[in-house]
Amino acid sequence: MISANQLTKKFVTKERSSAFTLRGKTREIIAVDRVSFEAEDGKITGLLGPNGAGKTTTLRMLSTLLTPDSGKAIIDGADLATQKVAIRQKLGVLGDAKGIYWRLSPRENLLYFAKLQGMNRADAERRATQLIDELGLGALADRPTQGFSQGERMKVAIARALIHDPQTVLLDEPTNGLDIMSTRSMRELIRGLRAQGKCVLFSSHIMQEVSALCDRVVIIAKGRVVFDGTPPEVLSQSGASTLEDGFVRLIGSDEGLFA
Amino acid sequence: MSAFSLSRASVVARKEWVDLLRDRKSIFWALFAVAISGPLVLCILYFVAKSVSERIDKTTAAIVNVAFAPDLVRHLERRGIKIDPDPADYRDRVKRGELDAVIVIEPDFQQAMAEGRPAKITLVTESSRDRSAPIAAKLSREIERYAARIGSERLMLRGVSPVVASPVRVEELDLSSAEQRGARLLQVMSFYALFAGLMGAIAAALDVTAGERERQTLEPLLTTPVTAMELAFGKWLAVSAVNLLAVTISLTGFLVALQFVPLAKLGIPFSFGVREFAGFMAVLVPFAFMVPAVLLAIGAAGKTAKEAQSSLSIGASMVGLLPMISFLRQSQPPWWDALVPVNGQYATLSKVLRSETIPTLDWAAMWVIPAGIIVIALFGFARTLANEKLLAGR
Repeated sequence: MISANQLTKKFVTKERSSAFTLRGKTREIIAVDRVSFEAEDGKITGLLGPNGAGKTTTLRMLSTLLTPDSGKAIIDGADLATQKVAIRQKLGVLGDAKGIYWRLSPRENLLYFAKLQGMNRADAERRATQLIDELGLGALADRPTQGFSQGERMKVAIARALIHDPQTVLLDEPTNGLDIMSTRSMRELIRGLRAQGKCVLFSSHIMQEVSALCDRVVIIAKGRVVFDGTPPEVLSQSGASTLEDGFVRLIGSDEGLFA
Repeated sequence: MSAFSLSRASVVARKEWVDLLRDRKSIFWALFAVAISGPLVLCILYFVAKSVSERIDKTTAAIVNVAFAPDLVRHLERRGIKIDPDPADYRDRVKRGELDAVIVIEPDFQQAMAEGRPAKITLVTESSRDRSAPIAAKLSREIERYAARIGSERLMLRGVSPVVASPVRVEELDLSSAEQRGARLLQVMSFYALFAGLMGAIAAALDVTAGERERQTLEPLLTTPVTAMELAFGKWLAVSAVNLLAVTISLTGFLVALQFVPLAKLGIPFSFGVREFAGFMAVLVPFAFMVPAVLLAIGAAGKTAKEAQSSLSIGASMVGLLPMISFLRQSQPPWWDALVPVNGQYATLSKVLRSETIPTLDWAAMWVIPAGIIVIALFGFARTLANEKLLAGR
């Protein structure tokens, strides 16, 4: 269960034209502007928005990587502002950065994170083997991940996020760069998490994907929530005939993804 | 934030150690460079020292107008010096370095000698060339010895004791022991031991800081309960272990090389036994833990490995340049010199080699100062690791 209330994040950037420019121009960007939404247990919530809308920043704030400038969030009863460690234990995060250690095998990658989550050796090994089997990584389990395909690396990364069996799962564009087969198995996995009663929040910029999976859609544009409801409501509220048209109308730009 | 958990830090340390050692190529080349550089320098030193002593043993005196001073020629020959009679173009050849020094005898040498006037000899040298200097000095010494012999013979002929003509006798009492003279030559060894304590850490420090960021594994790590300080501590332990390995390999390389290079034959009595090994380790262990802490703190600020590498080169040149100050300094070092990192280590290592007693205060400095630097550097490292701005890639 995630409940975000008025989350806001600003970035101040300094732009310098060269290494010898002493005083650069400072620019303030409001990446996330008073974003509020709820994601319930046993439901899949999609965070939809064009590139640069603030999806990743929102997920980074929820995963304790960035501190919000204002606003609150409660995850499984833990307050983001004061109970960071509790939240880190409750959350499984597949963030924007999905790198894995390529000199280590999938199993070693998983065990490292299991131990950091405080699992004991036996539990960690059991859970790692279970995830390796579920994701079909068996043949690769003990080979260094160097040379793995994009899909195989993504599987290791998602297994790592789920290693401690978290109640709430954050997935930042989990199908990005995957082929059709891998995308389908990723969707299966996400549905499987819902069946287990988990709270899944995932971000995407693809309307079709969100509508195929989500019970609830939160559309973000330029850092603000512009829509919060079910996929059918996207059509009714926007008055469009297709989901894609509805999405484009809701984010208020015909340029769509290239805005 | 939760309290510091040593078990989580050790999970990080063990993972980094395994990961670093799997980077076979980088590790191999770093350790290979460290293992080979010391013995290589030792061999170069050996051959340089050998050729110098050979050249002095086989000195050839080029003499212009050799026929005018047969007595001097006989003296030189008796002293084991070969004669190269009347070389052509000798000024040019001395200038070019083909001849080290040339003795020019004036045509009236014998006449002056017979009349009791000072007979003139010119020693043509090129003083800016280092390798000729020992030869020129040896020739000059032999000529003076010849002159002194003639002088005493003359006094004796006149019935005067030669002692009368030597009112002052200089005797040199050299307080340096044989080990110390050998150690002067082998101070490079201190330098290479410190060098090893840097080389072993650079690649590893880059890998666990900027490398982690570049491979996009830092962000997932920070979403687990591990704190930045635990990460910093674990990474520091792992890199230090690699560095300690490098230092040990470097010293072992020296030990092995010393068994094969016969320095004693050249009159360089140099001992590097258990005592020296222990002394070196006592200085190098804290050093090997200090360097990674500093490198990690610097490396973590880099967004990419390339960026980190260019900032790390500062650290590398410090280790290279600071001992140069001690190397070139003519005056007594100031009291705080022993407290400057790198310089202090260098000075203490040299003292170990010279078998000097090292004051307790110096030993304390070898441990307390690195400990302080480690604490400061680790706090800085942890702060940079969790820095939001670096995380957001801005």
